[in-house]
Amino acid sequence: MKKIEAIIKPFKLDEVKNALTKIGVQGMTVAEVKGFGRQRGHTEVYRGAEYKIDFVPKVKIELITTDEIVSQVIETIERTSKTGKIGDGKIFVSPVDEVIRIRTGERGRDAI
Amino acid sequence: MQFELGLTRNGLIDTKNLMGQTIPNHSSPKEFLRQHSDMVDGLVRKAFQKAQSQVSAQSVCLIAVGGYGRAELAPYSDIDLLLLYSLSQKQALPSLIEKILYPLWDLGLDVSCSSRSTQECMKMAQSDLHVKTSLMDARYLDGEYEFFRKLYSLFTKKVLHRKVQKFAAGLAKDLYLRNQKYQDPNYALEPNIKEGEGGLRDFQIGRWIIRAKYKTDRWDSILFPDHSRMLEKSLQFLWAVRNQLHFLSGRRQDDLTFEMQEKIAPELGFHDGSDGIEEMMRQYHLSTQRISNFVRDILERALYEPSLLKKTFFFLQRRKIDDNFGMACSELHLLDPVTFKRDPAQLMILFAHCQTHQVKMDFRMEEAVIEALPFVDDCFRNSQKVNRTFLSILSDGQSVDDLLRKMHELGLLSRYIPEFSAVEGKVHYDLYHVHPVDIHSILAVRELRKLREGHYQRDYPLLTKLIREVENPGILFLTALLHDIGKGMGGDHSFVGAKMAKRIGGRMGLSLEDQQLMGSLVSQHLLMVETAFRRDLHDEQVILRFANEIKNLNSLKMLYLITFADIKAVGPEAWTSWKDTLLMELFLKTSRSFEKNDMTGPFLKGEEMANRLRDSLSAEMVSEYVEHLPDRYLSCYSLEEITHHIEMARSVEREVLLVEWKVEKEIEAKVTICTKDRYGLFSKITGSMFLNHLNILEAQIHTWENGIALDTFWVQDVTKDIERRLEQFKKDLEEILSGKVSLRDLLSKRKESNGIRQKVVPRVPGEVKINNQDSGFYTIVEVSGEDRLGILYESTQALTDHGCDIHFARISTFGNRIVDVFYVQDESGEKIQEKNQTDRLRKTVLNLLAPASK
Repeated sequence: MKKIEAIIKPFKLDEVKNALTKIGVQGMTVAEVKGFGRQRGHTEVYRGAEYKIDFVPKVKIELITTDEIVSQVIETIERTSKTGKIGDGKIFVSPVDEVIRIRTGERGRDAI
Repeated sequence: MQFELGLTRNGLIDTKNLMGQTIPNHSSPKEFLRQHSDMVDGLVRKAFQKAQSQVSAQSVCLIAVGGYGRAELAPYSDIDLLLLYSLSQKQALPSLIEKILYPLWDLGLDVSCSSRSTQECMKMAQSDLHVKTSLMDARYLDGEYEFFRKLYSLFTKKVLHRKVQKFAAGLAKDLYLRNQKYQDPNYALEPNIKEGEGGLRDFQIGRWIIRAKYKTDRWDSILFPDHSRMLEKSLQFLWAVRNQLHFLSGRRQDDLTFEMQEKIAPELGFHDGSDGIEEMMRQYHLSTQRISNFVRDILERALYEPSLLKKTFFFLQRRKIDDNFGMACSELHLLDPVTFKRDPAQLMILFAHCQTHQVKMDFRMEEAVIEALPFVDDCFRNSQKVNRTFLSILSDGQSVDDLLRKMHELGLLSRYIPEFSAVEGKVHYDLYHVHPVDIHSILAVRELRKLREGHYQRDYPLLTKLIREVENPGILFLTALLHDIGKGMGGDHSFVGAKMAKRIGGRMGLSLEDQQLMGSLVSQHLLMVETAFRRDLHDEQVILRFANEIKNLNSLKMLYLITFADIKAVGPEAWTSWKDTLLMELFLKTSRSFEKNDMTGPFLKGEEMANRLRDSLSAEMVSEYVEHLPDRYLSCYSLEEITHHIEMARSVEREVLLVEWKVEKEIEAKVTICTKDRYGLFSKITGSMFLNHLNILEAQIHTWENGIALDTFWVQDVTKDIERRLEQFKKDLEEILSGKVSLRDLLSKRKESNGIRQKVVPRVPGEVKINNQDSGFYTIVEVSGEDRLGILYESTQALTDHGCDIHFARISTFGNRIVDVFYVQDESGEKIQEKNQTDRLRKTVLNLLAPASK
């Protein structure tokens, strides 16, 4: 099992979510986050005054999948969240040792 | 804990699998859907009755909606329920729903349930398209039947058959948006069987509209019997694929990925290997095309129902075009319904009218065409009137691709040119060819039409000029349409296709000259690509041989245009500025050789260049450098470039390495590298480039007789980060050459496996060709195979280990297939001729390419 965390542009959330449900992903956790990468924030001008935006708002998606579909999930996120511009975000993949569904006590694959 | 419904999660999966095994999926996939749905009905009813006994909520009714409502339940489809309640029961609902859903969820079923009162349902159905369509498929499951009956009759009376046109418009928009989304070429190769173009959802749209408009659930009742039989077959096929898709992946997977294509083809009785996959995907494309045509036809009928006002207007505007056709409100109509039967040639004339008057045909006209298809026989195909009309449509060129597409859609094209039907839906199981051959061929015509109309004036001015010079564009368009016609047969498709094209040309009454021209264009349609992308264009022999094959300037122009259209029609990423440059270079050099019959323009002879250098440089420089410059080097660069290279060479005496580059179009750069020659230099350079994600397109490698290595590379980085990457490349190469780090270490870091299973893509067989004919001085090694990390580095390393000096390299990538061409000599500057040497070389490189080594 793997955990996939993806930081994406907020307006891409719906598209990514729909695409993921279409390949059979059944659940995910979403959080609004702020941060910066190579994009480094930017300056906006409002009525002549400059405002520095240090942290850029992003959305973070977290989901756990079985090993078989990791590459398909990654590909789907990549394809749908890409605009080709700076700040498209990142995808992190890490191993997961165990998953437990609290209500039923199911473990492993069944609990995903 | 999971025995509430008398079954465990695994037990359910077993039952499902057993059901899948006992019902023959390829003959009756729908039987599985129905039985599966019946089984789920049992489980859902049980859960419902149990829940009702625990929570007292009597006035409710459970309804299946959506696909489940139609009792079309694929192995892992989601299950949509609707709970109708009377307002008095509202309090008890949450706990009732919970009690229904939990046991079903625990069985691993993907169930969702909405709860509404009848009033709410009606209100939502009036405003929300999706609620409306899901209710159209509603099916009673359990509880108060009266509720269901009431909702159903209200729905039928007040919603279903009202505002059909608006309903159709909403669905048309939905279809359009969805198709837009699946335009991405990735989806053409790995289509989504439900939502993709011509997929199962598209069919539902057609069915819903028929239901709303014609008040019947028998969608086939409004079609010709032949038509509906074919459509039914297509649907069966899609369902069979979808069932397998779900079974094999164990989840609701509707993307027909390469991995699944490989697994499903043998399950559905196709051959093993890529032949079987290609055949299955051909069936797939033919099926989705049929469904797509069906839904478009139905939408058109629903959307363009003329109003009374329009009918009157129509009547007043009517005018005759000729004895058979009339026109009104920019629509063509037949004056006499039996026209086509009386004179089938009118079918072709109809298309000519569409072109001249720039009008579309409406669905009635399309139906008339389909109905008349049986009259398209040999007599039609040989009729002078028909052929002349067809050729005049091509020669005119206006919206010619749209017309061909329509002819194809209606089935006329493959009746008229029966050879065309063999390439319908024909796909290549690879990553490069996005479209099936029939669509690709029509797209090639489209590219030429666009070029001719000036759409590419800014990007490709030369090609635009050339197409406007073409005397007979009809032949050009026809060749584009037929260039891959040999693909439906076995053997070398260019060769087979050329014969077929000539025969078709003969049948259409082309002059012998035109038949010959078309034949040779089809047989040579890959020659320009192969020459431009795989040979050293600085070698005058290459140009001369190519010119000899092509024979004259006119066919060269035609071939250049066909080559452009062919590549451009493969897919949006196939045509690159790099390919553009190479083809243009080949065209210009060859045309010059035709025009002047002398080669001095592009090929300043080595000796002449040396003389010029002697004149412009000091005596010391001449003796130190110019005398050491090899002939091939001298003919590759201009005077300025060589002078600059000599300056670089002088400073290399002090420094280890000089790297200069010039970035073009943000993504490409010409990199000049000057250093002292040493063992394995080329593979060290390619290795460092690979480390830095620089894609090598071409390499010119020159070793001067005084031990200076001067190499130029064309590299590419599509992420537009080329400057940074080149800086890092320079640093890495410096460290590697000075011995501070070893390339092998750096490379092994990049290769570290991350344990993630890689996506399955079509395999590419490896092939090594060793050619001693095409070049006077070099052995040409052509390596083609599957692209993977570091393959170029490894092959150059292998060549070096075999004692080959690499002098020129050209690398092209087609999807995941690479074609690397190396011009090599042995250490003493000779060709590699001996059989045991070439065999050994071939074997080593083949081993590198073999998928087993991955």
